[in-house]
Amino acid sequence: MTSTVKVENLRKTFQIPHEKRTTLFENLVGMMKPSKYEIFTVLKDINFEVERGECVGIIGDNGSGKSTILKILANILRPTAGTVKVKGKVTPFLELGVGFQPDLTVRENIGVYAMIMGLSRMQIKERSYKVMDFAGLKNFQDTKLKNLSSGMQVRLAFSTAIQTDPDVLLVDEVLAVGDMEFQQKCFDVFNRYRNEGVTILFVSHDLGAVRRFCDRTLLLGGGEQMAFGDTGAILDKYVYGTKEKSGSIENQTIKSVEEDQQLISMSGNNSIKITRVQFLDKFEREGTRFNSFDSMTIRIHYYAPSKVLDPVFGIALYTEDGQYLFGTNTELKEIIIDQVEGNSYVDLKIDRITMLSGKFLLTAAVHSHDGKPYDWIDKQHSFNILPTGWDEGIFEVPCRWII
Amino acid sequence: MLTSSHLNELWSYRDLVLRLAWSDFKLRYKSSALGFFWSLLEPLLMLLVLYVVFSNLMRIQVEHYQLFLLLGIILWNFLDRGTTMSIWGIVGKPSLVQKVYFPRDILVISTCITALMMTALEFVVFIIFMVIFRVMPEWTVVYFPILFVFEFLMILGLSMTLSALNVYFRDVQFIWRLVVQVGFFATPILYPITIFPEDIRGIVMLNPMAQIITMMRDCTLYGISPEPVILAYEAVCTLILLLLGYAIFARLEPGFAEAI
Repeated sequence: MTSTVKVENLRKTFQIPHEKRTTLFENLVGMMKPSKYEIFTVLKDINFEVERGECVGIIGDNGSGKSTILKILANILRPTAGTVKVKGKVTPFLELGVGFQPDLTVRENIGVYAMIMGLSRMQIKERSYKVMDFAGLKNFQDTKLKNLSSGMQVRLAFSTAIQTDPDVLLVDEVLAVGDMEFQQKCFDVFNRYRNEGVTILFVSHDLGAVRRFCDRTLLLGGGEQMAFGDTGAILDKYVYGTKEKSGSIENQTIKSVEEDQQLISMSGNNSIKITRVQFLDKFEREGTRFNSFDSMTIRIHYYAPSKVLDPVFGIALYTEDGQYLFGTNTELKEIIIDQVEGNSYVDLKIDRITMLSGKFLLTAAVHSHDGKPYDWIDKQHSFNILPTGWDEGIFEVPCRWII
Repeated sequence: MLTSSHLNELWSYRDLVLRLAWSDFKLRYKSSALGFFWSLLEPLLMLLVLYVVFSNLMRIQVEHYQLFLLLGIILWNFLDRGTTMSIWGIVGKPSLVQKVYFPRDILVISTCITALMMTALEFVVFIIFMVIFRVMPEWTVVYFPILFVFEFLMILGLSMTLSALNVYFRDVQFIWRLVVQVGFFATPILYPITIFPEDIRGIVMLNPMAQIITMMRDCTLYGISPEPVILAYEAVCTLILLLLGYAIFARLEPGFAEAI
């Protein structure tokens, strides 16, 4: 197998001047004093290869340089150092409808846009009917583009763009726009491309889409290549691995929550105090982001100044808008805790997170066997679930089809 | 940048160049149904004013002065329009520079071709005028296309320079406006070169546009073929402008997407 895309020691910096001189006049005046600027490194030491027909995801936080990589591969931006080799025809899907002119007709716009995307005149002639058919605009071919709704324009742009036959396709968040049906359509098309052996590089924040779609994934962080490898492993790393950053922020919020909590939990009698709640991922590391269907442990730390007999620990889960989803406690699970004293913790082990995606709130509580509250922290902790499958909704219901 | 591989690449993009030029051309006339005629009205009105002023008040004695003037205006307009439109060729199309890639000189070339199409329309008017005034061109008119190609390439060279510079220095457009306005009067468009004393003529005629316009009139209206030396001078000027334009463009092009 030969590599279609080869990136070696790629480095890209932008010069951001303190005062931007955009005119010759300003430049002449400014010749006396040297121009001050900051060098901002967007990408450094990027090395990866993509083989023909592979689909590679590029993920990372905002500003980590994902789009810059695509633009360099598309030859729109030039690397500051390092080499980038791309074999074959590259088609960037960085934006849909590039060069659309509101004052031209639908048909004319198809012609211009298709040609910008690299189709030949003959191909356009053959396919423009197909494009209008696919976009559902057969009756509008001589309508000016500005008279179409924005949804129609997006459909037109998309159905024109997918007529190209690239060797390498660069996709940047195009899927983020549009409804579910449109996104599904996009994926159908990308799957078709993939089956035709087109190499695809796919930048997305939708980790679910990356997981379903990409063979390998490149993880960027602050312009550096954090990891490159099999999608599953890289996504785990992204979701669970950046705890230094998010973890510390989370700890701070927990602390402030605890301070607030002292006031709230005054209402309990404080025989047992919940001092901290942790979410542990499948690697036993603390975090707030989890893949759905992975395992998770909720660890409730407590402090009991003196011996307390027969306490009951419990949790409740809520959706972000406060809808009660699930609750359980040690008593319901028929666990009897004889007595507690001092600092310790209890774990709630979730073998398989059945929530599909979204943010969830947790209430942790401890009370006596007869229901007298010791401490109760209402919806102060939260975690995020990232989708890994195709199902929709809040929860997975274990099921299968029989035909 | 003007290597054979680049020329090959440009050739493979020829359809795109024409398509962009054509859609731009249509856009310029589409907003009004009479757009076509309005655009012709401008040079005609100018012709009328200048004709009245210069033939009656200034008493310029030139054979076929109307045609002399009209051809001069059309040819100068071509330069004016081509370069002025091209200054916006890169800066005015950010999405074509930042969201897709094709050789960026295509944007400038297609803009120059749009200007060429507009000038071609004006030539239709010129031909009608020739018929009205019963001026039949002699065989020397065969030089016309050659000279016209020189002018086009000169405009292209200038446009390359201007469009690239305007990305970084936005006042290039104002500076160039001034140059064009001064040039209009410094070039023998309204008057024949013979109004100058002998010793100044040489300096005025160093201006390649002055030579082009004079030669094109001579070969179209007066049956005089261009002198080979001057033709060679034009060829050299054209080449220099074109190479310089491409050199500057190639130098600045990598940063376009960041600087726009």
